[in-house]
Amino acid sequence: MQLVQNVPFFSIMLSMVSAIVTPVLPRRAAKWLSVGMVSVVVCLHIWFLPFMVSLGGSYTYMMGHFPAPWGNELRAGLLEALIALALSIVMLLSQLSGMNKLQRQIDPPKQGLFYVMCNLVMAGMLTLTYTNDLFTAYVFIEILALSSCALMMARQVGHTMVASMRYMILSLLGSGLILIAIALTYNLTGHLLMENIRAVIAQYAADGEYALPISVIIGLFIAGIAIKCGIFPFHMWLPDAYGYSTSAASAVLSSVVSKAYFFLLVKIFYRVIGINVVMSDMALNLMLVLGVLSMILGSIGAIRCLDIRRMVAYSSVSQMGYLFAWVGLGSTVGVAAAMFHLVVHALCKSMLFLSVSPLCDASGDSKRFVDLRGAGYRYVIPGIAFTLGSLSMVGIPILGGFFSKIFFAEAAISGAGWVRITLLAALALSTLLNALYFMHTVLGLYRRPKKGFVRQPFIKSRLTAVTLSVFGFINLTIGFFAKDIINLITTGIQNFA
Amino acid sequence: MLLIAFCVPIVGSALIFTWGRKGKRIRRWIAILSTLATSVFVCLALFLEPGRSYVLLEFTSRMTIAFTLDGMGKVFAGLIAFLWPLAMLYAFEYMEHETGENTFFGQYLLSYSMTLLIASSENLFSLYFFFELLTLSTVFLVAHGFSHRSMYAARKYLYYTLGAASLGFLSMISVLVYSDTTTFVLGGIPALQQAPHTMMLLLFVLGFFGFGVKAAVFPLHGWLPTASVAPTPVTSLLHAVAVVNAGVFSVARLAYYVYGPTLISGTWAQTLCISMASFTILFASVKAVHEQHLKRRLAYSTISNLSYMLFGLMLLTPLGLKAGLMHMIFHSLIKLTLFSCAGAIMVQTGREYVQELRGLRRQMPIVMTVFAFCAVELVGIPPFIIFQSKWALVTAAFGSGHVMGVIGVVVLLISAGFTAAYLLKPAVTAFALPIEKKPEEKRDPGWQMLTLFFVMTAAMLALILLGKPIADYLSQVVGLQ
Amino acid sequence: MQSILFILVPAIPLGLGVWFLFTRRFRAAEVMAGLVLSFAAMIALAVTGDGMQTLFTVAPGVTFVFRSDGAGRLFALLFSGVFMAAGFYALTYFKHEINPARFFAFYFFSLFALESLCMAGSLLTMYLCFETLTLCSFPMVLYDRSREAVAAGIKYLLYSIAGAMMGLFGVIYLTLHTTSSTFVAGGSLEAELLGNPPALLLIALFVCIIGFGTKAGLFPMHGWLPTAHPIAPTPASAVLSGVIVNAGVLCIFRVIYFAAGTEALRGTWVQTALLSLSLLTVLIGSAQALRQKHIKRRLAYSTVSQISYILFGLFLLESTAAEGALLHTVFHSVMKTSLFLCAGALIMYGGTADVDEMRGIGKKMPVTMWSFAIAGVGLVGIPPMSGFLSKWVLAQGAVQSGMPVFYWLGPVVLLVSALLTAGYIAPVVLGAFFPGEQEISTRAKRAPVGMLAPLGVLAALSLLFGLYSVPLRNAIDTVLNTLF
Repeated sequence: MQLVQNVPFFSIMLSMVSAIVTPVLPRRAAKWLSVGMVSVVVCLHIWFLPFMVSLGGSYTYMMGHFPAPWGNELRAGLLEALIALALSIVMLLSQLSGMNKLQRQIDPPKQGLFYVMCNLVMAGMLTLTYTNDLFTAYVFIEILALSSCALMMARQVGHTMVASMRYMILSLLGSGLILIAIALTYNLTGHLLMENIRAVIAQYAADGEYALPISVIIGLFIAGIAIKCGIFPFHMWLPDAYGYSTSAASAVLSSVVSKAYFFLLVKIFYRVIGINVVMSDMALNLMLVLGVLSMILGSIGAIRCLDIRRMVAYSSVSQMGYLFAWVGLGSTVGVAAAMFHLVVHALCKSMLFLSVSPLCDASGDSKRFVDLRGAGYRYVIPGIAFTLGSLSMVGIPILGGFFSKIFFAEAAISGAGWVRITLLAALALSTLLNALYFMHTVLGLYRRPKKGFVRQPFIKSRLTAVTLSVFGFINLTIGFFAKDIINLITTGIQNFA
Repeated sequence: MLLIAFCVPIVGSALIFTWGRKGKRIRRWIAILSTLATSVFVCLALFLEPGRSYVLLEFTSRMTIAFTLDGMGKVFAGLIAFLWPLAMLYAFEYMEHETGENTFFGQYLLSYSMTLLIASSENLFSLYFFFELLTLSTVFLVAHGFSHRSMYAARKYLYYTLGAASLGFLSMISVLVYSDTTTFVLGGIPALQQAPHTMMLLLFVLGFFGFGVKAAVFPLHGWLPTASVAPTPVTSLLHAVAVVNAGVFSVARLAYYVYGPTLISGTWAQTLCISMASFTILFASVKAVHEQHLKRRLAYSTISNLSYMLFGLMLLTPLGLKAGLMHMIFHSLIKLTLFSCAGAIMVQTGREYVQELRGLRRQMPIVMTVFAFCAVELVGIPPFIIFQSKWALVTAAFGSGHVMGVIGVVVLLISAGFTAAYLLKPAVTAFALPIEKKPEEKRDPGWQMLTLFFVMTAAMLALILLGKPIADYLSQVVGLQ
Repeated sequence: MQSILFILVPAIPLGLGVWFLFTRRFRAAEVMAGLVLSFAAMIALAVTGDGMQTLFTVAPGVTFVFRSDGAGRLFALLFSGVFMAAGFYALTYFKHEINPARFFAFYFFSLFALESLCMAGSLLTMYLCFETLTLCSFPMVLYDRSREAVAAGIKYLLYSIAGAMMGLFGVIYLTLHTTSSTFVAGGSLEAELLGNPPALLLIALFVCIIGFGTKAGLFPMHGWLPTAHPIAPTPASAVLSGVIVNAGVLCIFRVIYFAAGTEALRGTWVQTALLSLSLLTVLIGSAQALRQKHIKRRLAYSTVSQISYILFGLFLLESTAAEGALLHTVFHSVMKTSLFLCAGALIMYGGTADVDEMRGIGKKMPVTMWSFAIAGVGLVGIPPMSGFLSKWVLAQGAVQSGMPVFYWLGPVVLLVSALLTAGYIAPVVLGAFFPGEQEISTRAKRAPVGMLAPLGVLAALSLLFGLYSVPLRNAIDTVLNTLF
């Protein structure tokens, strides 16, 4: 066993330890500890990923030397490593970028706690990525839910209270559904370790027994995760939640938390139920339909917004819809495309949220579109970052979103009959809708300000600028590595089960 | 050589963005030198390096960015290379009256590069790639001035092109899925011939409308008249020459080099596309007659003429392709000049509406003479050049044996009648009607604009005689001889 | 020698036109010299007999070619001669203008276009010249730059271009489906099309003829004529009504007899339709002429009517009728030109354009009114005037053709129209010479010699042709023999 193989464990340990230590530290130390921890995780994963590539397979890791089924297991594979790396990078950059804003928006006593929550989110994300048993997964789902709620509430404004309450309720509803599903699974199979469950289910599927309960389980998992990710029709909490919290929080929520949940769902499909069973199941159509509806209705909601952060939030609904729909397609190509988009979108959406905040600052702290006119001139780097993000979401060539579109389309074409047509039509329509609201905003950024606009002084943060530049650079160049990334993903999926 | 030709404008554009603020002179020198240099390089590439392809980037084995200059590409690239320096010169003088020169010229140069890239794309993927990028590099040109109307026009342009491009995207993806490569092959990519027929037709139609949005085919034509609020150098070059011709060019590539005539010919897809094109011809001509704003009238005229080209292309015979390309070349020359006249009039006298053109000959004799000359040309009176391209279109139409061909001929002729109404009429009133009694001083534009006019008029006259060699060259291009 | 003449004949008026467009000082002598020279060149060309000359090739199958044959020579001599007469008249007419050079520029351009049209050897060349003619002649219409003039000029322009486009449709079709690319007496349509003409061929021919008929004022494309002819300056009206309308006739003549061939049309619905349209135009023209008070408008409607006599004759596709048609072309040209020139003199020196006010003007302007009377009587068709001869031959042709219905309908309509013509010519003449107790217009004075000479000569010619028309008939017969 090489040292590098411990990386998953180390990462999770580090985040948990930071989470425990941070409350007792003074504010500044807490901040730097948190950032430092995340940076270390990033570096670890950068070390880890090539190793996984060369390994060519996945391995399981026993925690505490207790073999399954009593102990916990982690499983590390190429796909998990890639996802963990991407999400850690997002986490790091979000924290750095939003740091200054955070200091102004959150009460000083609470700022330390904010970082605690960040660490917990990190831990949760990593665990969900690497875990190999359902019980741990559930525990960390709850941890994630609570910590993301707290992240939202850190900024204590009326809206955020309401929003986080709403999120809490819905999230608990989602967790409840997942719990029921886990209970059912346990009842059905008697195991909690993913591989064991799968073996039993495969047996049942071969015999043709328990088809309905298995469908119900799949449906419950889908519904539960859908609620947590903000898929139509469970998306009501999302715009408020993302719209009113501090920018770092929204970035983390939209890009790390949702993605972690989604990745868990895919993992459940592959490792708990077995992808063959899932793909022949009717419940998958539910995912497809919900996904397509989210794609379209999310965009329509975005068009109707008057305020930029809500618009970006609705856009998240739409993009998560893409992910759901293409997994709902029921083919490996679809899953690969969805994973690719997961990475791209995580990087992109967080950048969007992080750049909105400085732009609003430069416009007299207002989020409304009319006030944002000309913001691109007032604060150049966030403007460019936002433009890049928008272009990527629309799918302009060179940028990452374009390649997502290509992979999505290829996957869709390989589908059958009405599925193919629906997905292609939804893709085309969604591109148009995205263009509508994103381009409108981008153009608005570069307009002349409305009459009577008084240019107010605002605080420019160099850290934000630098971070956004790095973010922008990543988004710009990810397109060039699309080929490699998709290859990694495809190989990873092969070893995923 | 070709790569240098692409890079020069990009470099020039970057230079303008950074240094241009220092002063007008520097900016203009950079701009004109870049343009001229690029044109020179393009010409060199045309003559010295036929048929070589370069692969720039490889995303996957099937999706590459690659360039080559085959016959059609040469035609388009040559046309662009000829027109851009003239337009740049014109823009210098025009922009004296506007602000924001720096960004304007930077983007103007960038668009040059993008158009060249489209012209020389070796495969459908690259074509789509640069098609989208062209939209981006031109949208801020349309929005120049950032007034309410400009922003509206820019938004409309963006929504239409990006939205429709998603249709083109689907078409392109389908090609990728069904065949291993998207490289253009005259007569169609072989692998696609084996693919399910209906699917291919449907995807072709999607691509036709997707790429055809830039060629303003009904019902996706709405952006063009609205975009005429942009400064005239933008409208003239981009929306009468570069962008719209890129649209026509893309459709030609799609029809002849990707899906292939044998696949589409005689099917409902062809009928649909030809009908759309014919309808657009008539529709736009009628709207042009009603339109009182000069630039919008010219915009509708452009829409109509573009559909002539699309009509020719969709006949799906080599003659049709040849006719469409001929019309593309000739129409670009004429329309560029017409828009330039309109711009000169607007700048010198502030008149924007057709009624205000009456008697303008006294004030701007040169401009109005050129305008009248172009009007006569565009109607298609022999022996001027548009007659040659219309003749080619008509012969191709009759020769295709398609019933839509005959209807198309009728439509062409009716539209020519309308062209007379909407172009010749203002030209005549400009000459004939007297204006107010007080003597007006002559306000012809300066030497930069005039250079454009003279060169273009000379070109148009020369082409009357040179028309035959060009036609022969095009026949070669399309594989007729 | 002939090839030089082919180039020279159109080049002279073209060059003169360009010269007059740019010149500052205007001298009458230049115009006169130019007119005479053009006419002489035309005669020279006519003398050299048949021949052909290729001009240039634009695209494969698109060549512009000049050709000299009997019909072309006939028309060309007629056109040049009339132009000469009207041109001399114009010199005096424009004496009071500041710089009439612009008018003469377009006058010569029109002559250039007309001569080229007569010499056109293929359908495409003919179409080219037709369009050129439109472009060259419409500036004459809007000469005085008033709102009405410009509107009329634009109406003429647009009608003509629309007509040209319709003609082009037929031209294209025929070019693609004829065996010879140049005109061939009797037509050169592909043989398999003749036996069972496809609908497209018939439609193309119909549209084509209507299109070229625009210049000739064939219903329904006659709308521009009554607006444009009167408002142009008189010399322009005269050539428009007397000459340029015949350009339309010539085009139709060429299309039917030299490109498609009579067999393509004989007995088809196209022929019936065309015959009906021409008769309808005859009646409409005459009837409308009665209602007009403005003398030039009256004459314009008269032109509409008279030209359709010619077209009627041509559409009968029969040699006697064609002879009548060609005779009437010549005669009407001479007569109508003279009438218009008289009208111009009346307006300018008689002080009025309203026919009701022209009572008694004969006393003050005898030469003018006598010429008007002679030409007018010829128009009505009373022997021994030339007008009678052509109408008689036309009627004969109608009967001989044996076309169902038309063989009697034609002559009847001709007769009715003659009566109507009398109805609109006679009052003018009679009123001018026999005013009765009514007021005699006192403002009139004699027109100058420069104007009287041309109009008088033309009127005399119309009488002369009536008395001695043998050479003319021989010439026409030669032409027609090649066709039938």
